[in-house]
Amino acid sequence: NSTEANSLLLRQQFVGKVQFALFDTHSQASKKLLVATEKNIFASLNSRTGDLFWRHVDKTGPDGHINTLMMHGQDAVVVVGNGRLLRSWETTVGGLNWETVLDTGSFQSAAYIGVQDVVRYVAVLKKSAISLHYLSSGHQKWVENLPESDTVQYQTVYSGGNGQVFVLGVVPNSHIVIVEYNIEDGEIMKQKSVAAPWLSSLQSSCVMVGSGVLLCADPTTKSLYTFPLQSADQTTMTPILLESLGVEVAAGFQPVLISTQPHPARPPLSEFFLQLGPDYHILLQLKDGLVSTLRDFNPSYLVAFATTGEKTVAAVMSPKNETVSILFILSNSDPFHLHTYSVIRANGSNASVINLYSADTGRRLLDTTIIYSMDPNGGKPAKLYIHTFLKKDDSVGYRVLVQTEDLVLTFLQQPGRVVWSREEALADVVTMEMVDLPLTGTQAELEGEFGKKADGLLPMVLKRLSSQFILLQAWMSHLWKLFYDARKPRSHVKNEVTFETLSRDEFNLQKMMVMVTASGKLFGIDSKSGTVLWKQYLENIQPNSVFKLMVQRTTAHFPHPPQCTLLVKDKDTGLGSLYVFNPIFGKKSHISVPALPRPILQSLLLPLMDQDYSKVLLLIDDQYKVTAFPSTKNVLQQLQEMASSIFFYLVDSSQGRLSGFRLRKDLSTELIWEVVIPTEVQKIVGVKGKRANEHVHSQGRVMGDRSVLYKYLNPNLLAVVTESTDSHQERSFVGIFLIDGVTGRIVHEAVQRKARRPVHFVHSENWVVYVYWNTKSRRNEFSVLELFEGMELYNSTVFSSLDRPRPPQVLQQSYIFPSPISTLEATLTEKGITSRHLLVGLPSGAIVSLPKMFLDPRRPEVASDQSREENLIPYSPEMPIRTEWFINYNQTVSRVRGIYTAPSGLESTCLVVAYGLDIYQTRVYPSKQFDVLKDDYDYVLISSVLLGLFFATMISKRLAEVKLLNRAWR
Amino acid sequence: MQPLSRAVEVFLLLQSLSVVSCTFSDPDSGPSAGAGAGPAGGDRFKIEGRAIVSGVKSQEWVSSARVLVEGGEYVGFLRTDGSFAVHDVPSGSYVVEVISPSYRFEPARVDITSKGKMRARLVNYIKTSEVLRQPYPLQLRSSGPHTYFMKRETWGWTDFLMNPMVMMMVLPLLIIVLLPKVVNTNDPEMRKEMEQSMNMLNPNPELPDVSEFMTKLFSKGSSKTGGGSKGSRNAALKRR
Repeated sequence: NSTEANSLLLRQQFVGKVQFALFDTHSQASKKLLVATEKNIFASLNSRTGDLFWRHVDKTGPDGHINTLMMHGQDAVVVVGNGRLLRSWETTVGGLNWETVLDTGSFQSAAYIGVQDVVRYVAVLKKSAISLHYLSSGHQKWVENLPESDTVQYQTVYSGGNGQVFVLGVVPNSHIVIVEYNIEDGEIMKQKSVAAPWLSSLQSSCVMVGSGVLLCADPTTKSLYTFPLQSADQTTMTPILLESLGVEVAAGFQPVLISTQPHPARPPLSEFFLQLGPDYHILLQLKDGLVSTLRDFNPSYLVAFATTGEKTVAAVMSPKNETVSILFILSNSDPFHLHTYSVIRANGSNASVINLYSADTGRRLLDTTIIYSMDPNGGKPAKLYIHTFLKKDDSVGYRVLVQTEDLVLTFLQQPGRVVWSREEALADVVTMEMVDLPLTGTQAELEGEFGKKADGLLPMVLKRLSSQFILLQAWMSHLWKLFYDARKPRSHVKNEVTFETLSRDEFNLQKMMVMVTASGKLFGIDSKSGTVLWKQYLENIQPNSVFKLMVQRTTAHFPHPPQCTLLVKDKDTGLGSLYVFNPIFGKKSHISVPALPRPILQSLLLPLMDQDYSKVLLLIDDQYKVTAFPSTKNVLQQLQEMASSIFFYLVDSSQGRLSGFRLRKDLSTELIWEVVIPTEVQKIVGVKGKRANEHVHSQGRVMGDRSVLYKYLNPNLLAVVTESTDSHQERSFVGIFLIDGVTGRIVHEAVQRKARRPVHFVHSENWVVYVYWNTKSRRNEFSVLELFEGMELYNSTVFSSLDRPRPPQVLQQSYIFPSPISTLEATLTEKGITSRHLLVGLPSGAIVSLPKMFLDPRRPEVASDQSREENLIPYSPEMPIRTEWFINYNQTVSRVRGIYTAPSGLESTCLVVAYGLDIYQTRVYPSKQFDVLKDDYDYVLISSVLLGLFFATMISKRLAEVKLLNRAWR
Repeated sequence: MQPLSRAVEVFLLLQSLSVVSCTFSDPDSGPSAGAGAGPAGGDRFKIEGRAIVSGVKSQEWVSSARVLVEGGEYVGFLRTDGSFAVHDVPSGSYVVEVISPSYRFEPARVDITSKGKMRARLVNYIKTSEVLRQPYPLQLRSSGPHTYFMKRETWGWTDFLMNPMVMMMVLPLLIIVLLPKVVNTNDPEMRKEMEQSMNMLNPNPELPDVSEFMTKLFSKGSSKTGGGSKGSRNAALKRR
């Protein structure tokens, strides 16, 4: 059944923000693009399709950070973890050639060292030492301490290719130190210092150009300085005034130099770029100590060098000439033309052109233009990577990889065709929601009829007739399409999803996934095909923002569009802002948003609706004042009526304080309860309530003796998990408190001794499941708490936190889980009839669907008749993990950060989206598909059996009659 | 209240398990139990080993595999020949596993003493002190590809026939059909014997038989509703 399974599996793999990208220029036919990213990932992409050949995910944090990536031949050399590890990768297979541990010390730079046109070694420069390694094995040839490393900041290692190793360091605002090493034994050959009182950092203002010339830019004197490293007698740097070149540096701009060294065993080229302003570059050449201008690029956004064979070219991205604005001054009476004018104008200002220039002359190469049009909802281009190749006629052809600020990787070829593009912002999804798709346009048309006010009998009849006609037309075209598709072979039928075809399916299985990423880019993704239907880049989002996404109005209220609200909160200041948009089309809503001058502590989406069916959002600021959105008169009136029954809680984990508030009629609040968990002993790890859209079907559980054990279903219950501040393995503990959010009463309290983080927990129905690390036995353990009212229900019609005289009975059981855990979530279905499963994300990338049945505190030690009647599994301490339970099979999801579950229109089916580095979307059936016929259901058999039975009864009836007759004759 | 006490008992069982583990005494001056949780610093060591999938070239699977120590606290990558080394691991006790989406590997527990002595043993989460030695450097042999799919139930004649319900229906049928053939009913003695046994089975001959009652009921019903059959019967009567 793998074909069906595959059509439902949707995994998209990402790499994150690219730091280094290299095209394999080893052979012309190579399709490899190697990337190293900020997510500590080293991957190889297929440059023809954009798919991953392989991807290596290192550990998170600075230990896995990739410092540099270099490539030579088939092998890539990577320095990882601030210079801790030096790795060489075989790029076709994706396996390691070798791996070497380097001495501690912060990494500065690395370079290939060539001897007589062959690259033999790799040199790694640390803060106080330099080491040389064989490229073939990784073994260390020599390591030497750098002289006076406490005062000199060594930053660059350089080799011209003929067996020299230069190490350059700087004493800020004083002088440059140049040390030359012997390649054979690491002996210092020469050491000199050159005065440079204006220089603070080599890395930001200096490059190597030509045959061993150090070139630096100084913004204060507006000049370039050169110094040949091998000169025997020169002791000062030669200044070259920028004015003499006839160029001017933009005010307050640090000039940036860009040079290129096409082959590591040969010296760099003598041509280089100088960036004089944000949009201004010039191509210069250094010859015999003299700098001359080859070409002036004003304006120009991005520049890059690229080499193929013996030819080096410079690629320059510059704005497209805005001739459009002149072309479109048309008759201003025609609104249609005005419209086109504005559209084309927008395109004109968003398009850029990339051109190739010969590096040694600055001459523009003919027919090398690529037009790059920017996404109006995206960010500006940020980086340019060029892949050049030689065409058959020996001219240079190229493709270009553009990375934008909103982390889109676009690969273009001439004359501007997008070969592929990747949305790398999706590697960092923070939160998401699933929104029902709208009804089809025709259905909506019918619905709309009821929404509008009546305007006479005849128009109504006409309208009804016309809409019925539209329905008929749609049905006919649907039939035609079915007929047309049926004639085509199956593989050719493609269901392309566009806004036009976007409509709810019969069982509401297809939804819109609204995803919010850490970079501030929003996505609308179709859950069936995984296509990105809309995207919106929010600029000016601070990197440490917290996002909360809420669905204020669903698609159920037709003439009113669905509405989502994103609360963006700065983590440091707490200041928030609201972004309101339509989740289906991604358009920003024009509803006026309340100004939020004070830091936001808590947000609360009420089930109350205003007259336009949008749910009311309450925002509580640091003075405990409440802002309502929308804040129409209707809403305020409803709030006044309901105020006494609106409660909310605040968590201050730094002071260990949980407090409960009640809304007053004037939208101020009053403190009702406060629970302080002393921070000297333990700190709050997490607080979770129940999900608002959760339904519980059965009030109790039928026991073996036919009596009912009623569940304690408190919708206001909060699960608070704490962790001890003492991390010693004997004294550490994990605590769990169940607190009623309205009254502040602690319903239950449990402590797990000798336990520590990572703690994950799920709170649903009448149970809490949590996972912790047992420090004593070094294993992960699951613990389940279940709350019951007892054999009779106190007030079966309505639950009130204020009127619950008896505390619930609490049952608990623990189990060993034979794997670490990265995330935990529970399945959710429409009516809550289907049994629950827990979805456990493992570090291996698998997602296990674990039946809740295994986590039942009533599992008996010894099976009895009663427990068998109840289908209780006898207790066993170790929980099994079966690969059959992996809902993503071999489609592993790396670094799972969260699992989102949503009910579908079918009770048996729960939609699951796992996100992290990858996004994986599937459906799970916790109780199998009890409400759906199997896809191989034998219609022929069942109908033939029915028909057979029918005829059998007819025949037997006839036979019986004959027999009766015969008997009567006797 | 009973389930509660039961739960507490079970919980105690777990507790006692952990008590067993804390009496863990290491024969060759093993690591202190908590060293794995200790802060960074001190000596760092290297866990080495080799992962083998028999019958498959290493080039085909190494690029998608990784070595996870303690679920990703330390990460290692495989060389092109399947060997691996995880660097910078402080002394302690770790579970080392090779993760591959296509092949299954058993994890191993590696203990590192503060002096850098290593040993590998089988992972046992229940009896954490049990030592079943494994070779070090690790030799992790794959036990085959993962089985992600359950075999689908297929419909076959044997399944149908072996179904208990079908058996219950078919066997009596066979007996009814075959028994009269086997037993000679023409023998008068045998017939007498059978009649006797039938009487034994039916202790109260006055009580109406259920099946008889039903047939009467239904035949009456059909004769009433079926007007056509009535007519034919009348005709037959006349003929008589």
